[in-house]
Order: sequence, then C-alpha cells, then structure tokens
Amino acid sequence: MIAGRMQVAGFDVRVWNGGDGPTLVYLHGFEQHPGDAPFLNDLARARRVVAPEHPGFGSSSGFECLCDLQDLILYYRAFVENLGAAPVDVIGHGLGGMFAAELAILAPERVNRLVLVAPYGLWLDDTPLPDPFTMGPPALASAKWADPAHAGLETSAFDGAGGDSRAEFRAINLTAASKFMWPIPDRGLARRLPYLSTPTLVIHGEADALVPPAYEAAWAAVVPRARFARIADAGHLPMFEARDEFLALVDKFLD
Amino acid sequence: MKFHWFAEATYPHLPDDFPARGLSSWVSTPRDLADPVKVGETYRMFIRLMQQADRDGFDGLAVNEHHQTPFAMTPSPNLLAASLASTTENAAILIIGDSLALYNPPTRVAEEIAYLDCLSGGRVIAGFVFGTPMDSVFAYGNPPPELRERFHEARKLILRAWEAKEPFAFNGKYTQLRYVNAWPKPIQARPPIWVPGSGSLETWDLVIDENYCYGHLSFSGLHSAKPMVDAYWEYVAGRGGDMNPHRMAFTQLICCAATDAEAEAKYYEAVRYFYRMNTLDPAFTMAPGYTSIRSQKAMAEHVRNAPNLRPEDRARAAKGEMSFWEYDEKGYIIAGTPQRVRQRLRELAVDLRIGQLIGCLHMGNLSEETASENTHLFGTQVIPHLRDLWADQPDHWTPVVSQRRIAARAQAQREAAE
Repeated sequence: MIAGRMQVAGFDVRVWNGGDGPTLVYLHGFEQHPGDAPFLNDLARARRVVAPEHPGFGSSSGFECLCDLQDLILYYRAFVENLGAAPVDVIGHGLGGMFAAELAILAPERVNRLVLVAPYGLWLDDTPLPDPFTMGPPALASAKWADPAHAGLETSAFDGAGGDSRAEFRAINLTAASKFMWPIPDRGLARRLPYLSTPTLVIHGEADALVPPAYEAAWAAVVPRARFARIADAGHLPMFEARDEFLALVDKFLD
Repeated sequence: MKFHWFAEATYPHLPDDFPARGLSSWVSTPRDLADPVKVGETYRMFIRLMQQADRDGFDGLAVNEHHQTPFAMTPSPNLLAASLASTTENAAILIIGDSLALYNPPTRVAEEIAYLDCLSGGRVIAGFVFGTPMDSVFAYGNPPPELRERFHEARKLILRAWEAKEPFAFNGKYTQLRYVNAWPKPIQARPPIWVPGSGSLETWDLVIDENYCYGHLSFSGLHSAKPMVDAYWEYVAGRGGDMNPHRMAFTQLICCAATDAEAEAKYYEAVRYFYRMNTLDPAFTMAPGYTSIRSQKAMAEHVRNAPNLRPEDRARAAKGEMSFWEYDEKGYIIAGTPQRVRQRLRELAVDLRIGQLIGCLHMGNLSEETASENTHLFGTQVIPHLRDLWADQPDHWTPVVSQRRIAARAQAQREAAE
C-alpha cells in the first residue's frame, strides 16, 4: 500500500492505495488507521484498495467542519464519488463499520457490497458496551485480543511525521473518535438500518470484548437479510489476529 | 486585596479505609457510602459558616459545581448561592462557577444568576467554568472535543441575554431559541465574570481578550502553582493584557489557631482527610480532546519546572503521608497563628500577584467549631492586616455593592474602636 493524500470537498486526508481491479474502500476503526497493513496488501492482490484516514485522525484535516455524523457521511459519499463512476465495495471496522453502514444507507447506488467487522453503532441495554475511553492499556489489550500476545501484529499509520509522539497520535485519534462514540457509540443507526438494501456481511470475533458477538443478534434484528460470520480465535481485530480466516470470509463474500 | 470564604462541600463521614479499597471519589463512588440525613446536616453547617463569614468581614462567599462525588456535594452552586443570597448582607456571592456546557438551554444560567443578583441586591459574581473531565465529559457525557465550543456558545448566549433590550432569536450550533427574553434582568448590568482554569492556553486567551478574572483553583499551593502562574502573567504581559492583580484568584487551604501547636492538633486530621479521600481514578481524570495537545505540553512543562515540589511530594501529599508542617512547608496549607498566616499570605500574594484569595476555611472532616474559629480569626486578625495589598489598583472584578458595604463596615468598626 502506498501512502498519499487526497483532497475532497474541502477535506485533506491521508489515503493508502494499492492494487488494481474493482474498488474496495476500507474504513478503519476508532483507534487508528492501520497504515501499510498486511491484510490490506492481501486484499489488494485482486482489487484496487483505497483506505482513507478519517478526518481528524492522524494528519487528516477537516474535523472542524463536522458537526454531526451526517456531515461525515456526506463527505464519504463525495469521497467515493471521487473514486470513479462504478459503485464500490466497502469494509468498515468498528467505528468505520458505523460509517460504512451509514454510507450504504445514504448512497445505496454507490455501494456494491458491505462488510462490517465488529461494527459500532448499535446499543443493547442488556449488554452495554464497555467504555474504551476509560480503559488502561492492560484492560484494553485484554478486551481487544483473543490472546494479548498478538498485540504486536497490529500495524499503525503512525509515522512520527511532524515530531508528534505516539501518545499524541493516539490522543488526536481518540479525540476525533469521541465525536461519534462519546458517551455511547449510538448515533441513531438502528432507526436507519431498515433502509439498508446493500448486501451485507457482518463479522464478529468470538473473543471480542469491545464489541461482543452478542451484538450479532442486534444487527440481525434490524438487517434480517445480512449474512453473519464469527471468527473463533479472534478479538476486535480479526484482520490481524486471524488474517487468513478473515480474508477467506471477505473474498468469498465479495467475489 | 480581597478574601473569599470557600469550602468544598465534602462528605465528612467516609470510612477510613475508603482509599485502601481502591474506590474512586469521583464519577463511580458507591452512593451507599453517604447518609442523606448527614449530607443535609453538612449542608446546613456550610450555610451557617458562610453566614458567619459574611459577618466576619469576608469579601465573598464562594460556591462551586461538581457532580457525582463525595468530595464536593454541590451539583448546583446556584442552590447554595440562593441560601446565602437571602441570608447575608455584604459579601459577594461568588459562583465559581456554573458549568455552562451542562445547562440546557444555557439561558437557565442567565436566569438563575439574574435571580441571585436580584435576591442579593447586586452582589453576584458570575463564574463560568468548563468543569473537570469527571464532571463535564464523564458524569454529564459531553463529547470532549465539543466542550469548549458548547461553553463559548453558551457564554455568548448568556451575555446577550443579560444585555438585550428586546427579545432576540439565537440560532446556535447546540442551542436554538426563537424567543430569548430572560426575566428578570440582573441588578448589575453585567455581573463580574470569573473563569477558572488549570493552565489551558485557550482559557488564558479568553480571559485576556475579555478581561475576565482568571482563577487558578488548585489545592496544591504555592510551589505547585508558581511555574504556571508565572507563565500566566508572562503570557498576559506578552499579549498586552491587564496586569491588575485583582483579576487573578487563587485557592489556599487555611488553618488558623491561637498557637502553631494548636493548629496542628486541630487541623491535621482534617487536612489528611481532604487529600486522602480525594482518590482520583486515572480513568476519569483525563479524556482525549479535553485539553488541547498544545496546552498539555505547556502544562507538563510547568510541572517539570516546579523545583520545590517533586512528583514524589505530590504523591505523598495525595496519600496523606506528609506531616502537618510538611504540608505547610510545601504550600498545600498555610497554618498557624494569625500573625504567621498573614505573613505567609502576604508572601504568596506578592509572589504570585494575586488580588483575590479564595481561602478554604473548612476542609475534609473538620468540626464546625474549628471551622468557625478559623473563620473568625481569619476575618478579624488576618484580613484587616492585608488590606493594603494592591490597594492602589482598582478592583473591577467584585460587585460594587459589596465593595461599598464592606468598606463602610470596616470604617465603622475602626471608628468604634477609636
């Protein structure tokens, strides 16, 4: 994947590009863009993969233009339109899953197929999601990974540019994420999901304690036609922790 | 120089092993730890003490806002202010302050402060606060990157509501009102405005731009505050702001007694309670986006630049592990006879260029009797000896009514004594 920048609708964001073929857009989760990640390179073997960093994350600008989720989704519609005339496939992870679902609802003609990995966006009173903003590193690692020893597999878009520290990079990212996740990562998606007509695959890691697989039922209740898959030995980041299984599921669904 | 009576309305009956149990004193504190009947008695004690402070010559009675904590059980400072506004005569009612982002719509603040100003005869100081992370983003759920924006939108709405001659429409990002026409008007056309901060550069810019009174409201004393307060004044000077010391407020724990030994005997347990029982869970003390990266860097620099207060000292102070006189030496408290206290306060005020001292005359689980004695000694034997400080500079940041009444009262007492 090659890092670059893209200017769309007044936003100036970092984008990782790779591969040729039908376009697949990857929307990252709340902690960070994964940068030049192995799973993105794998996906790019048979596709053109475009992985933008969300406005406000890392060195991607435009956060100040966002008042609410609608502003962001309108931006992502313009972003996808900018990629060409043909509709695209979209994978959204965690918070990016919330964005991807909203995009498919707003612009169904632009989204061919949708893969949601441990998506945020719904809320069950009986199974409240943990608050990731209050977790110290050990608690977060144990919630994120089936085996915290796998933490080293995760890649990051952090490149030290501009003299920022990793801690600052993280603070910048979580600040932007909090706009859509604080105090509860529910911005009304459940009300809009009945309008979702895009073929959708929802993937959960069996060991994900951030977005537990119990949320599968919540998605099934509002998107009955979606397909569901669980990956046994993975937590919140199956694309790193169980890469082969993750890729097999995605390839099978998209091809 | 002006002196304001203050206490955190702390619940005084927490079990001794509260810190050892790993409990947080903010946000998630088990509610069963407090007996509501005893909470009521505590509130009544604070009201009596503040009424006494008004009689003993204090310039202001300070009330503050915190949520979900036994450290300060004043979810609405305006409620305590209302108890004082109708039962005191002279002192300013210093609301320090209302957490603007937490009022919906914020015209509520314009109305309630106006009510208090009317009730008190024009004695209100309007403090506007962002609120701690525990209050504003955890207990009240504001997304951290929205907090400052919400604060400023609310502030502009409130100011306009006080000044408007006729109803107006307000189309904000967070508040939309078609008919703003706040009743009643405050007696003071625009009450004095104070904004406390903990070192954010954005807040410094605000108080310089608007010429508000800035408050450094920590409980860590001179040595902790010195690098930040010095940096603040340097920043004000650099921006060509008003260097009048009356626009700088500072909190300080005060422990007055007839002798130094008596001070230690009467206050040590309460001082330890105050610090020990304030157990800050790191999960709730910071939130991404609450403090800008630029301000975080500046604040970290101030901590590094405090030569007389090492990180180990801060940790020991928080755990109640300092001796009484070590707390005093490190600046956490100013203790002893009125003579000693006024000497140390003079040094503090000159060193930090402070014109508004917010004295904490009650702390932790101090008895009412001792707090009352503290208030009386301070009001009668400390304040009169420090009136000369900054007397050459005008004070635009306390209500004119309070200034006049307190000066007249002091004059009458001097004449009676002669």
